[in-house]
Amino acid sequence: MLRTFRSELFKMTTTRATKVLLGFAVLLPVVIYVLTLIYGFDGGEMGSPAVVNIASGAPLVALLLGVIGVMCATQEYSQGTIRITLVATPNRQRVYFAKLLTTLYIAVFSTAVLIGLSLIATVIVLKVRGVQFELIGNDARVLLSFFVLTAVVALFGFSLGLIFKSGPGAISATLLWPTIAESMVFGLLSAATTHNFFRWAPIQNGFQLVSEFRFDDYNSWNVSALLFAGFVAVFAVVGASLFMKRDA
Amino acid sequence: MIVVDRLTKTYGAKKAVDDLSFTVSPGRVTGFLGPNGSGKSTTMRCMLGLDAADIGSVTFDGKRYSELDQPLTHVGSLLDAGDAHKGRSARNHLRWIAMTHGFPESRVDEVLHQVGMSEVAKTKVGKFSLGMRQRLGLAVALLGNPQTVILDEPANGLDPEGIRWTREVMRSLADAGRSVLVSSHQLVELSMVADDLIVIGQGKLISAGPISQFMSQHAKTWVRVVSPQFDALAALVIAQGGTVERTNEGGDFHAVTAIQIGEIAAANNIVLYELSPQTGSLEEAFLDATDASVEFRGESAVSHNGRGQ
Repeated sequence: MLRTFRSELFKMTTTRATKVLLGFAVLLPVVIYVLTLIYGFDGGEMGSPAVVNIASGAPLVALLLGVIGVMCATQEYSQGTIRITLVATPNRQRVYFAKLLTTLYIAVFSTAVLIGLSLIATVIVLKVRGVQFELIGNDARVLLSFFVLTAVVALFGFSLGLIFKSGPGAISATLLWPTIAESMVFGLLSAATTHNFFRWAPIQNGFQLVSEFRFDDYNSWNVSALLFAGFVAVFAVVGASLFMKRDA
Repeated sequence: MIVVDRLTKTYGAKKAVDDLSFTVSPGRVTGFLGPNGSGKSTTMRCMLGLDAADIGSVTFDGKRYSELDQPLTHVGSLLDAGDAHKGRSARNHLRWIAMTHGFPESRVDEVLHQVGMSEVAKTKVGKFSLGMRQRLGLAVALLGNPQTVILDEPANGLDPEGIRWTREVMRSLADAGRSVLVSSHQLVELSMVADDLIVIGQGKLISAGPISQFMSQHAKTWVRVVSPQFDALAALVIAQGGTVERTNEGGDFHAVTAIQIGEIAAANNIVLYELSPQTGSLEEAFLDATDASVEFRGESAVSHNGRGQ
């Protein structure tokens, strides 16, 4: 299993597309955050405001890592290497879990780098201004939620990739469902009835996990997390099932 | 040894492989022939577990492919030269495959050297010609130093030197006691290296056995004769039931053997300059054997009224 995982990770990290996308997903938000930190604040207490700003980029980062998840699943089909992969490792379950682990590893590692760099920058900038930085309130939970969000959205992309097998189709679904389609569907349901269906939009619940504050129309953190993870789990099961059965 | 037993694979309403059984013996190069769409590639994919067979089984020395521990050390395969990421270097392409089995990097360099690609090891696959990608595909097949090798059109896109090299690789593998199954449409090349032939058409077995047996069953044979008294000899041979086809220098006799012609000539004091038994090519024998099962047939380049299309 470890050998298959190493091989999958090597495959993902030796393509330019992955490197470019990871650069965008990790470095761009850090640069924007640091610029905001330098020019957007003039000092003062910098606990929660800093974390809120770091977490504000979480949905975008998660979507980009969702695209990485898609690539982890579809790249081999588009390049034909899936045949070699399955010939080298005929146990499809092992290949599936190695790919899944690779997707989650990249998502969690990238998130850790992003948060790490952002926090280091925060500490340095605030120290220069003579302000002590410390995590307060829900900060730790927000940062933990950042990891949950990116990992689950990456799994969402990975699963859609296995279902579609085609990169463009799966990327479109990964990006359009959370940003447009889900809002439309749940918005229309809410408009057609008196119930606030939007409250149950699964990916939006995922995005709300990284919110420092729980508003009245939000579900609790636990309910949001369950709804979000449960929705993605359905796609994960379908994707895994297709991968196991499908001719290569 | 590969044993294919009653293999059947259906896609929708189409039976791609239909109750196919054959064996591939160690120490021999076995050619795998069939017209386009006859089920060769499907059979190979089923052998390697890439496609699930509806019925039947394929075993390698008694084990199904999925049961093999470290499968690349048992079976090496080249299905499609295009099965490589265009943005990855040749060396990295082999490295990720080697990682699945824990092969050392030195083995990657060895096979790159073996296929003559050491100089371009760091070049991206996207910059390779088809011939170079074929060599890389062969490197993948040889990576695990396997007991059985399955190659689908390995000489496709190779230059004459590359074709000869491929032939030598297959021969040396068989001479070392390995089983080699090779699918190819380059019949002249195949006839130079294959010991056995498996011929299929529309998913069914047409012929299996030594190439000599296939040729004796399907290739035309005749006797070429050159003689200053050709017309006299022809009349005598026709009287014995033979047929004659005139050529510039002499003629070709059908339905009689060289021995019969020699005896007729000797008995009648006829001088012979040439008396040579001839056998048709593997291509002709293949076309004869598969004529009834050709699924996709092109029209002649010249129309019936004689004008070019």
